[in-house]
Amino acid sequence: MLTVLQFLKPYKLPVAIALILMLIELFVELFHPFLLAKIIDDGIMQEDVSVIIRWGSLMVVLSLFAFVAGVVNSFYAAHVSQSSGFDIRSGLYRKVQLFSFSQLQKFEASSLITRLTNDVTQVQNTIFMSLRIMLRAPLLIVGGALMALFINVKLALILIVAIPIIMLFLIWMMKKGGALFSRVQAKLDRVNHVMRENLTAMRLVKVYVRYKHENKRFKKSNKALMDQTVSALRLMEVAMPALLFLMNVGIMAILWFGSFEVNSGGAQVGEVVAIVNYATRITSALSVFSMIIIVFSRFKASAERISDVLQEGDEPKSEAEISPVVKGSLEFKGVTFTYPNKKTEVLKDVSFKVAEGEVLAILGATGSGKSTLFQLIPKLYEPSDGEIVVDNFNIEGMNSNQLRQQIGYVPQEVFLFSGTIKENIQWGNGEASMNEIIEAAKAAQIHDLIDELPDRYETRIGQKGVNLSGGQKQRLSIARALVRKPAFLLLDDCTSALDVKTEQRFLEALKHYSCTTLIITQKISSAKKADNIILLDEGEIVGKGHHDQLKEKSELYQLILRSQQREEAFQDV
Amino acid sequence: MFNQLTRPFRYKKIPLPTVTTSEQRTNGKVKSKPKDWKSTIKRIWSYLSVHKIYFFLVVLMIVLSSMLSLLGPFLVGMAIDEFIVHHNVSGLLQLLIFLLFIYIFYSLSIWLQNFWMVGIAQKTVYAIRMQLFKQLQKLPISYLDKRQHGELMSRLTNDMENVSTTLNSSVIQIFSSILMFIGIIAVMIYLSPLLTLITVAVVPLMVIGMKWITRRTSLFFKEQQKHLGEVNGYIEETIAGQKIIKAFSKEEHVVSTFMGKSESLKGAGFWAQTYSGFIPKLMNVLNNLSFALIAGIGAILAFNNMITIGVIVIFAEYSRQFTRPLNDLANQFNTLLSAVAGAERVFEVMDEEEERDAHDAHDLPEVRGDVTFEDVSFSYEKNQTTISNVSFTITEGETVALIGPTGAGKTTIINLLTKFYEPVSGVISIDGQNIKNIKNESLRRHLGFVLQDTHLFQGTIRENIRYGRLEASDDEVEEAAKQANAHTFISSLPNGYDTVLDQDGSGISQGQKQLLSISRVMLANPSLLILDEATSSIDTITEIKIQEALQRLMKGRTSFVIAHRLNTVKQADQILVLKNGQLFEKGNHEALIKKKGYYYEMCQRS
Repeated sequence: MLTVLQFLKPYKLPVAIALILMLIELFVELFHPFLLAKIIDDGIMQEDVSVIIRWGSLMVVLSLFAFVAGVVNSFYAAHVSQSSGFDIRSGLYRKVQLFSFSQLQKFEASSLITRLTNDVTQVQNTIFMSLRIMLRAPLLIVGGALMALFINVKLALILIVAIPIIMLFLIWMMKKGGALFSRVQAKLDRVNHVMRENLTAMRLVKVYVRYKHENKRFKKSNKALMDQTVSALRLMEVAMPALLFLMNVGIMAILWFGSFEVNSGGAQVGEVVAIVNYATRITSALSVFSMIIIVFSRFKASAERISDVLQEGDEPKSEAEISPVVKGSLEFKGVTFTYPNKKTEVLKDVSFKVAEGEVLAILGATGSGKSTLFQLIPKLYEPSDGEIVVDNFNIEGMNSNQLRQQIGYVPQEVFLFSGTIKENIQWGNGEASMNEIIEAAKAAQIHDLIDELPDRYETRIGQKGVNLSGGQKQRLSIARALVRKPAFLLLDDCTSALDVKTEQRFLEALKHYSCTTLIITQKISSAKKADNIILLDEGEIVGKGHHDQLKEKSELYQLILRSQQREEAFQDV
Repeated sequence: MFNQLTRPFRYKKIPLPTVTTSEQRTNGKVKSKPKDWKSTIKRIWSYLSVHKIYFFLVVLMIVLSSMLSLLGPFLVGMAIDEFIVHHNVSGLLQLLIFLLFIYIFYSLSIWLQNFWMVGIAQKTVYAIRMQLFKQLQKLPISYLDKRQHGELMSRLTNDMENVSTTLNSSVIQIFSSILMFIGIIAVMIYLSPLLTLITVAVVPLMVIGMKWITRRTSLFFKEQQKHLGEVNGYIEETIAGQKIIKAFSKEEHVVSTFMGKSESLKGAGFWAQTYSGFIPKLMNVLNNLSFALIAGIGAILAFNNMITIGVIVIFAEYSRQFTRPLNDLANQFNTLLSAVAGAERVFEVMDEEEERDAHDAHDLPEVRGDVTFEDVSFSYEKNQTTISNVSFTITEGETVALIGPTGAGKTTIINLLTKFYEPVSGVISIDGQNIKNIKNESLRRHLGFVLQDTHLFQGTIRENIRYGRLEASDDEVEEAAKQANAHTFISSLPNGYDTVLDQDGSGISQGQKQLLSISRVMLANPSLLILDEATSSIDTITEIKIQEALQRLMKGRTSFVIAHRLNTVKQADQILVLKNGQLFEKGNHEALIKKKGYYYEMCQRS
């Protein structure tokens, strides 16, 4: 919670102003019963109309003054809450962007999203409410008690006794509520998760006609959410009636003792009236408390969930002292890798070399560690052992940004952003000119298709490029990598949805890009054209060399070759 | 420092619509808005009214608590007038005991009304959520394809939350506010009509002020919600694409885009909050003013012996209690505004046209597997044909290979066959029946799918396979897995069939996912099969296993294969060659080779 409150620091001054303005309002409100007592005791009892008029007009003037203060307070409160909300959201977002992959895995995507959206909004609203009205309630209680003391010490003592009891009760509720509402939030996350999963899998649900099954699944989590919410809220709702009763008993006590005080001359009627008035004001302030408890315990839960993210360590950044101009040679030296929190070694003592401008094909069964190997090159993960060397520099000491600038990565699973085709390609290189974009699109064999679209490069594609076919998406994602003019091109089996002619043309076009290329592939036909091939099996290199060498030496390669031989005549259509 | 002080007043103003005259209001969106609101609230009520009995009890408790809370100050005033000014201990004692009972019942009634209301509200929210989810299952794929998941999710989550919070607190508040308001006025008139008039004098001011404010807030809230939707959509998308962002080291870029969007949200949010903040302030000033007036004028009246001090006390208390309901109403109005707007968006989804069967659509009890396309044309967007005039006939049990360059329309044919989309013209029939007249559900029950993106659910492997046929026994699940060549790898996992798959099945490889997906279809045992061969991303060994499994699966079933492998194509009974949305050639391998056309060329070139 403190982490989140830190975000208020830059706004100390506006916060202070907002609070002062609120205090002014509060003061006016608390001053009114005092003036009322004056009017009764000095005006009515003493039969002096001028006193009544004097104090009466003062009340009017003060009211207007408080109004102005209140309006200005709104401006400051909104400013503080919106600005700090903005800062939290930005800070959080930036943090998530800086997460390493292993950190990202700690949080589910859906939970990260809720943290960035709902939780931030929750915090922001709480800040606004606090500056505007919520702090008012506790201050009103304290202020009211003080004013009562000022008017008549003996009678006010009854109020003073009640306050600590109320406070203790409230603190207990707050604690209890915090725990309950964080459980509610967890259930809400679950509901959202099921919904998101269902949305992504909608085609499957439809084909299997499984909506009833899905409904059942959803019902379960929805019901759990309902039950948890009901039990949390019901506990909270006990607070107000209990507190009201306590305060009302206080009022009765004031009346009882007040009557004796008035009789003995220890107090005046106006004073009793004023103190009763303070007591009722305090009572009505309490009615806000059950809301405050709910809001605050939600705030606490949200703030903690935000802090969880913010308190994650930064991705280890070792800034290179030299920022080498990458030419494009790459070497793995005895690289071993295990995913964080997992036991099995995905890569075992992998060593190989690629010279500048060469093409290396990587073959291997699924799960043999090919994609993992790729992810180590842009430093998405750090090897557990061994080193990766680019142009004679260990990448461990390289600035990851500068390194990644030089890499064009095409992952196996295509991900495009919503926006136009041009934006998506340009995403690879913000400075790319239209010509460069077209050039990349041509090389990726997608230009002709784009040209046929009504809006050409300005054609919008959905969040996941819904109106494009898988192959088209793959080619866009290749164009995105090419437009960077990278020193390294990493193609993670990204030509799978391409037909064979397109693929051949693409590989041909690649030759014009002077980059070191690593291709993960299943097709011998593609691998054949590479300068070198490595064969991975369960994280180990079991074969190295070019096509003809491997054909001779490697049994596994022969096996793969045989399995594809019969298709050699046609390959893919 | 100066900058900090003036910053709150330098936010960019959001222009108000200039439409103000009543004449102009009739022809624009301005008018339609409150109308929608009315029906939205009515609709929420229709959910609430299911729990009529409890609702009645809640209202009863509200009436009780309102009455008791009116009685309280009245008795206190009486105590001062009768028993304190004229010292009378026994009278005071009696009155206090009476007061004690009132307070007990008061607290009790408040507790009960909340207790019941929480139940009603949560059941309502539960019902709306449930219905919304059910509706989602019925929406056509085209609806989902067109929308950002993030934006849709925001409706399902944020907007629903808004509704939930409002129902929890606002309903009671609104009811009790209205009751209190009426009750207080009545008692006040009884005590002193003149003072009542003075107290009520502030109401017109309040109405004017409120109108001025809410005209602005409703606009600003809408604006805010719009920006919030955009920000959330962006968050959703960039978190899903995190890998790409990192690999391209675009973190700074997305952060700055995000900041831009976030900044606009901040601007809109500022005005929404500031103006909504005015409401309680306005209430306060009116509150204080009427208090001052009552004190001053009441004192003069008491001075002339027209009323007693006790009456002033009661009025002073009532004047606050009288504006408080209005204050609460005003406060609630804000939450109500955003909740109704939220509910409106939720209902919008519910009102989306469902995927509907033709009204005379019938079930398809059994399928032999004859499929015909007659002159079928289709386009996803206007002015753009995706496929045109495609015609072909497939007989029972045949394997059909769909080939052609990417974007030629292969996936579209599948989308039409599954009725995910409806053809613009032409007829598709199965066993001689136009699929237009077959119920979607019934049709799809006969279809089996091995899609390119194999989607696995969070859950165990067993659950994921069983998705194909929910009532299948464990033995049947394992048998299907054996048939699909998946049994070996599943058994080698430490927890076997009970292995829990992470989100999106990230625990296992792509090829294994395919095997699971085949097991699922195997278990479902459909009559028509649709395969999207995505096999080239899989290593050859697994590939052979997949091929084997698919052969077994395809046996005896009409199968459509979006093919990438010559083997598959050669073995197909029919090959449909698509190009630019047209059926370019059809026939089996030999026939097409003989024809020496496009297909022949493709074979030659590769």
